[in-house]
Amino acid sequence: MNVVIALTITGILNLFGSIFSYRKITPLLSIIGLTTAIVFNSMYWNTNQSFFNHMMVVDNYAVAFGTVCMVLAACLIIFYNRFMGDNDHHLPEVLSVIVLSVDGAIVMVSYTNLLMLFLGVEILSISFYILAGLKKKDLGSNEAAIKYFLMGAFSTGFLLLGITLIYGATASFDLSVISEYVKLNSTSTNYLLLSGVLLILVGLLFKVAAAPFHFWTPDVYQGAPTIITAFFATVGKIASFGAFYRLFQMCFSPIVNEWSGVIMVVAIITMFIGNITALQQKNLKRMFAYSSIAHAGYMLLALLSHDYLGGNAILFYSIAYGISSMSAFIIIHIIQTQTGTDEAMGFAGLVHKNKTLAMITAISMLSLSGIPLTAGFFGKFYLFSSAIESGYVLLVCLAVINSFIGIYYYFKPVIESYFKDSITDDVIKLKSVETILLIFLSIATILLGIFPGLVPAI
Amino acid sequence: MNTILSIVPIQYYIILSAILFSIGVMGVLTRSNAIIIFMSVEIMLNSVNLLLAAFSTYHNDAAGQIFVFFIMAVAAAEVAVGLAIIVMIYRNINTIDIYNLNKLKG
Amino acid sequence: MNSTPIDFFPIVIQFFVAAGFVGITMFATHFIGPKLNTRKKLKPFESGVQSVGNARQPFAIKYFLTAILFVLFDVEVIFLYPYAVNFLELGMSGLITMLLFMGLLLCGLIYVIRSGALDWE
Repeated sequence: MNVVIALTITGILNLFGSIFSYRKITPLLSIIGLTTAIVFNSMYWNTNQSFFNHMMVVDNYAVAFGTVCMVLAACLIIFYNRFMGDNDHHLPEVLSVIVLSVDGAIVMVSYTNLLMLFLGVEILSISFYILAGLKKKDLGSNEAAIKYFLMGAFSTGFLLLGITLIYGATASFDLSVISEYVKLNSTSTNYLLLSGVLLILVGLLFKVAAAPFHFWTPDVYQGAPTIITAFFATVGKIASFGAFYRLFQMCFSPIVNEWSGVIMVVAIITMFIGNITALQQKNLKRMFAYSSIAHAGYMLLALLSHDYLGGNAILFYSIAYGISSMSAFIIIHIIQTQTGTDEAMGFAGLVHKNKTLAMITAISMLSLSGIPLTAGFFGKFYLFSSAIESGYVLLVCLAVINSFIGIYYYFKPVIESYFKDSITDDVIKLKSVETILLIFLSIATILLGIFPGLVPAI
Repeated sequence: MNTILSIVPIQYYIILSAILFSIGVMGVLTRSNAIIIFMSVEIMLNSVNLLLAAFSTYHNDAAGQIFVFFIMAVAAAEVAVGLAIIVMIYRNINTIDIYNLNKLKG
Repeated sequence: MNSTPIDFFPIVIQFFVAAGFVGITMFATHFIGPKLNTRKKLKPFESGVQSVGNARQPFAIKYFLTAILFVLFDVEVIFLYPYAVNFLELGMSGLITMLLFMGLLLCGLIYVIRSGALDWE
């Protein structure tokens, strides 16, 4: 399949950048490679082809999620080059790891075999362990890397035991065979299968950072370099949810009554822990880590819907969350390099320093908190309506309460940047390509908030 | 091969793997040396490998054993990255006790 | 299941082959190898560590790097076993797939060598 091949070749070419001395052009090379992959990917729309002896199938769901991941990664690479480009000794290798991790994300959203699920999760995770520890001398980055690594490897164990027990029950790793088996045996209780489902659930909840498996998230997000945190929070989370929804919708929907209770409880705990803890955070990266936990809680609602509505809802929410989160983290990075702090007071008087940046901050925060006329509103709207249609009214009420709590902390940076005076009056200057990209992300947020039909149904 | 499974039933393999897996989990939860935690994770993965091989024989299906190969290859990659991270930390703080890693908190 | 002692005969043979291999190689190296009895050679071999003294001394990082690279490339060999077993059935497409796999590994090896990870000095 062309997308994976294009990404792999790009990754290898980047890897050779420093040893065959063409490191200057590696950012360009990665962008070209990702663009090619996006073009290849969009050509698979409505084809539903299956690849590698039915290991992967590229349906519309896979195309949509894959495109989102690749576009976000391309944005990230443009900014990575700007922030690290001059003083980063290992630029080609880092770009290579980023591109190859997107490969893992593609596998995660298009697998039809549990083997590919495992491989995709691991390609993504191992790349992330490396990226979290990029600042070798920085103790925070070291701590983030080891915490992410140990917790990630631990959760992989649970995922694998779950896959094995399902194999024991169904004698196959193929999703279609498993779903046939589950359909036939949905009335009888099969303990091997059920414990397998539960263990896979634990492994994947770890990956999407849902409470009570969320403890690594704040530390990793705070310790990792900010631009890499943007990658974890967007591509990592979206790909994990893509894999999560695909597995549970394709295979385990006939026994939804067995696991819906778990998801409900986890979703409620996740939303409350994420939002209430985020209220108390001073460090913005940590605050956004908790807010990303809360977003995972909202996205879990989509898993409960019985029909295709859930898939559309989770796709729209992923796009809205991905765009806004990406621009929010990039702004935090810009502020951090300018003022040296990643706390909310770094935003003080941003409107005097750079009007566009303050505007973009406001738009992305509005979108993340789900105010109408932004993409975040329709994301939440679709998610909640799909959950209501499946009869989870109480759950949606709790989710709405949580959205209101979220508004409080999302407005902190906005209030700082518009109504507080800054200590220094240095003007923040951006390159034109970065301003264009940030404005493009904001325009996308607003466009999707006015015309939600722009995202095609899958 | 099924003669082996007629002597030792599949339930025994499941119980053995569950015990090994639990030993691994307990190791991860209670130890403080990063390398020992990592070894415990490897015990978890190897208990899964054992169970996969047993199920593969039980079902007369080779896919399980291929999965074991992939787990081993991926675990080797994970070891490489993990040990590199541990060495990096050792160079900075001269210890690999994870209780010394408490800089990040909120 | 009724197994007679004769069923275990192959295991006995394998045991003798294994023991014999160890014995023969030990004897053969003893006779074939050149005799250079320097002071360092007569010490017990401890893979580069001083044989007397504190055992808890830090290893040089170059051991670590070489060991890790060995583990990475060594483990990939397990994918050759299933291919070797099904060599004829897989035919041309299998050969191309395996060549691609080895090619990707080779890319890694080129990177390792060119980036100087295996240089000792």
